[in-house]
Amino acid sequence: MRNGVFAKLCCLVFAAFMLAPIVVVVGVSFTPTGFLEFPPSGISLRWFRAILDAPEFIEGGWISLKLGVISATLAAVIAVPAALAIGRGRFRGREALLALFMSPLMVPTVVLGIAFLRFLTVVGLSGTFTGLALCHAVIILPFVLRLVLASISGLDRATERAAESLGAGGWTVFRRVTLPAIVPGILGGWVLAFITSFDELTVSVFIVNPSTTTLPVRLYSHIAQTTDPLVASVSTVTILFTVVLMIVVDRFYGLDRLLIGEGKK
Amino acid sequence: MAFLELHGLTKRYGTITAVDSMTLNVEKNSFVSLLGPSGCGKTTTLQMVAGFETPTEGRILLNGRDLSAIPARERGLGIVFQSYALFMHMTVAENVAFGLEMRKVGKAERARRVAAALDLVHLSHLADRYPRAMSGGQRQRVALARALVIEPELLLLDEPLSNLDAKLREEMQLELRRIQREAGVTTLMVTHDQSEALAMSDRVVVMERGHLRQEDAPFEVYEQPGSLFVSNFLGKSNVYDARLIAADATGSRLVVAGREIAGPAGVTLPPGDVALVLRPERVEVVAPDAALIEGRVIERIFFGNQWLLRAGTPFGEMLISRRNSGRAEAAVGDRIGLGWEAHHIRVLPREEARA
Repeated sequence: MRNGVFAKLCCLVFAAFMLAPIVVVVGVSFTPTGFLEFPPSGISLRWFRAILDAPEFIEGGWISLKLGVISATLAAVIAVPAALAIGRGRFRGREALLALFMSPLMVPTVVLGIAFLRFLTVVGLSGTFTGLALCHAVIILPFVLRLVLASISGLDRATERAAESLGAGGWTVFRRVTLPAIVPGILGGWVLAFITSFDELTVSVFIVNPSTTTLPVRLYSHIAQTTDPLVASVSTVTILFTVVLMIVVDRFYGLDRLLIGEGKK
Repeated sequence: MAFLELHGLTKRYGTITAVDSMTLNVEKNSFVSLLGPSGCGKTTTLQMVAGFETPTEGRILLNGRDLSAIPARERGLGIVFQSYALFMHMTVAENVAFGLEMRKVGKAERARRVAAALDLVHLSHLADRYPRAMSGGQRQRVALARALVIEPELLLLDEPLSNLDAKLREEMQLELRRIQREAGVTTLMVTHDQSEALAMSDRVVVMERGHLRQEDAPFEVYEQPGSLFVSNFLGKSNVYDARLIAADATGSRLVVAGREIAGPAGVTLPPGDVALVLRPERVEVVAPDAALIEGRVIERIFFGNQWLLRAGTPFGEMLISRRNSGRAEAAVGDRIGLGWEAHHIRVLPREEARA
């Protein structure tokens, strides 16, 4: 299908709008000066070297990475059985259950942050990494759930019956037939959830303590005090990390399928 | 005692009765079709035999064994699904091997039986392919091999050919029948396609609204339909309201549209209102002086090997099917003489118009 001039123009404007901040941040990170400058007056890796002298960012990066992996995995472990029940089951309260699981998308994150802060104090997990991971798992659950639900709804029920008729028990049917068919959905959801957790700021600000400060929170508190190109170089590194992750996902799964829900099969 | 017996099999969903006290005997090694329009209960019947639906009432006996308490995975039946339901992440050989793996068949034995099953369906050369890279007909064969490799006592086919295009469907009809004979497996097939049922089966079971309407050999069902429903569902029929005025072992007399005509012998219905059924292929176009009635051609359709004429007659509209003998057929508007032999008429009870 051919697009008209207007449609092309809209795409161009949209792309520019999306890419401009990234271009600016990446550009600024290469500046040799000590202030935010765009376009940079020269090319220098000075501010990338500076990351090595800022252990709090490296530590924050590790914490965010670990948090992303653990909370996304936790969310996936909850989402798969939940999606199977919601997608397959015909029980009362199905809709309500789905709405409950999806509600973190609807509730303002500031409200969630305050609620989590209070809740963690009550259950005695305040300031712990465990508490942080649990809260992140709740926030990112909708992303995994949605993608797993989509892959379950596209699953032919007859394949499971076929396996059953060939002598497979319930667990074998799940492990050998159902799970392999929805693995792409689970992986896609996991990656989306990981990325969401990795750059989550609002809720984290409320519930981190100095030993569990994530990278976004670290960046945020840094620019609250000073504005030097260090934040730009750290951002550039995380952008690079995300891009690499996306390329890997595209290779194994197909980005179009992950984000639009169809494509190569 | 028959190999597969259904005794008063009934399935109710709330107030809806999907299958109503169905009783059927299937002989060993025979090929039986459950035929009917959608919603007639044929698929539900198959699901109950397969073990995916629990009967509300009645029993299913396979080789004398009551299946009621046996879960689907222990029934050991081969099932071919309408969608084929192949395992898309496994190769053809892995698909076929699945049932043997579940039965803990040893590796060497497994390989041998998978090879034999693929050979039976002529797919040996595609053993390492994935189903997504195969055509519909090939997937169908994989599904068949997967169901047959476990050497099931009973093979269940759920609309097995409905996803294939017309030409391939005809080929697969013959192929499926060959495979069924070679494997020597008792087969129960569900279909809504009457030509498929007639071509493939030893016995045809016509179902309507949860009831078994007629069960017979294909030729008998077609020639001796027990009801208007069966007559209309299998092939085309000309149906006219008639009155039966006399019937005995040598013949019968009927009145249609004010004309008295000869009917077949052996009509057992009491005199009164009946339905007269005449197959389009039993009506002949004859010279006017030999005609029983006259008609005027309203429409003429050419099918290659045959013509179908629609003619206006004193009885009402009549379909006439004519073999293409290489000569031009009567054209629209032509007056033609129509005749038939009395024994080609079927006299059936009238049926109330169904909602």
